[in-house]
Amino acid sequence: MGTKVSSSPISLIDQTVVPGDVVLDLSNLTNQTIKLGSGLRQDNDVISSMRAGKLKYSKPNKYWVESSHKRYVPRPEDHVLGIVVDSKADNFWVDIKGPQLALLPVLAFEGGTRRNIPKFEVGTLLYLRVVKTNAGMNPELSCTDASGKAAQFGPLRDGFMFETSTGLSRMLLSSPTCPVLEALGKKLSYETAFGLNGRAWVNAAAPRTVIIVANAIMNSVTLSGTQQRIMVEKLLEKISD
Amino acid sequence: MEIDREDGRTPNQLRPLACSRNILHRSHGSASWSQGDTKVLAAVYGPKAGTKKNENPEKACFEVIWKPKTGQIGKVEKEYELILKRTIQSICVLTVNPNTTTSVIIQVVHDDGSLLPCAINAACAALVDAGIPMKHLAVAICCCLADNGYAVLDPNKLEEKKMTALAYLVFPNTTLSVLPEGSSLVEDEPVEHGIITSVTHGVMSVDDYFLCVENGRAATASLSAFFRKNFQQSQRDPSKAG
Repeated sequence: MGTKVSSSPISLIDQTVVPGDVVLDLSNLTNQTIKLGSGLRQDNDVISSMRAGKLKYSKPNKYWVESSHKRYVPRPEDHVLGIVVDSKADNFWVDIKGPQLALLPVLAFEGGTRRNIPKFEVGTLLYLRVVKTNAGMNPELSCTDASGKAAQFGPLRDGFMFETSTGLSRMLLSSPTCPVLEALGKKLSYETAFGLNGRAWVNAAAPRTVIIVANAIMNSVTLSGTQQRIMVEKLLEKISD
Repeated sequence: MEIDREDGRTPNQLRPLACSRNILHRSHGSASWSQGDTKVLAAVYGPKAGTKKNENPEKACFEVIWKPKTGQIGKVEKEYELILKRTIQSICVLTVNPNTTTSVIIQVVHDDGSLLPCAINAACAALVDAGIPMKHLAVAICCCLADNGYAVLDPNKLEEKKMTALAYLVFPNTTLSVLPEGSSLVEDEPVEHGIITSVTHGVMSVDDYFLCVENGRAATASLSAFFRKNFQQSQRDPSKAG
């Protein structure tokens, strides 16, 4: 919703912004903490946008620019799908579609000790949590949640992995359930894992189910909720005869 | 003294603009920009880890590859690559992704005058499509001088051949701001009056050069508005809005 920010004449919230647009004037807001998300930077007294997208605001004080790209900017507490590219003594090097390769410590597993280090081959697909991202350093990942439990993190076996944009993976992870997944779930049984870094994994008992689900997801990028349901119905009709 | 342009444009009128983004499947950002018949395709890959040997590892590095429509790569292409690299380094925020390299590849599809500004606009649109952090957009325009002292914007190839001098000018875009008008001034001039890049060919007097700059600056508003509108239209897809 477009809430006015202090007494500025126009508000850019929920509007499309391009790089360079000044979105907040800090001299009007004194004694407030503001949290800046992706796509915004501070330039002395103003906050301006670095990317093109929609400016979003969430109470009480979070601002960010939402946009969809093929690459990913790592943020802590994101769940991502990574592919192992190398393994060293202390870390696995994992590709998460970001500017740098990420590190997965060899002990970052539930009950992980030096004696039971998992052996991941190059090319293994893992469901991971981003632990920390600092400027200039490689991001760190973990296969446990914050309390140390495994919680379904770890390697994903079988199934089919495909790339999506970050915007599509956000839509698929939104709650309530995305319409395309709900419509597919009424007729088919499948399991999926979506990474916020633009990777999706689908597994089902039969290969044709996997292909149907993957194609339906890839087709639903530009469709609205109702259009997605119609698309899935038509697809399932064609398949069943 | 009016100047007659062959296609009937006024001296300050630009050719029809067209821009489409996200057209290439494998690249991380891509755009095609056409001004009249001049069309350029730009692709962006990155940011990828690691910088080149002589580059500062505390900043993001950009490399530009210019591919002409025909012929081998020579000095002209190397010069274009250098100009584009310096322009991109001025508009991008280099401290966000240190020790990374972003590659920008420019492919000339058709050259009908005003090629370098078209390429700069295409590269800027492709960088936006890839999500590379930028301070502002770059808006490029070509302004040339006829021998009667008249300045003409966005010439096509025939007009370029008849002109005595030409200038390629790159300005920052006009931005929306929540600040009241006139508060974001840098040394008493609005930010849009800055100039990022200027390349001149031929001989012109200082006054003529400033005339070109004034005319070019006046055209940046319409180019910025075009870019913003083009982006808003693609935002109406639910996928882009997340």
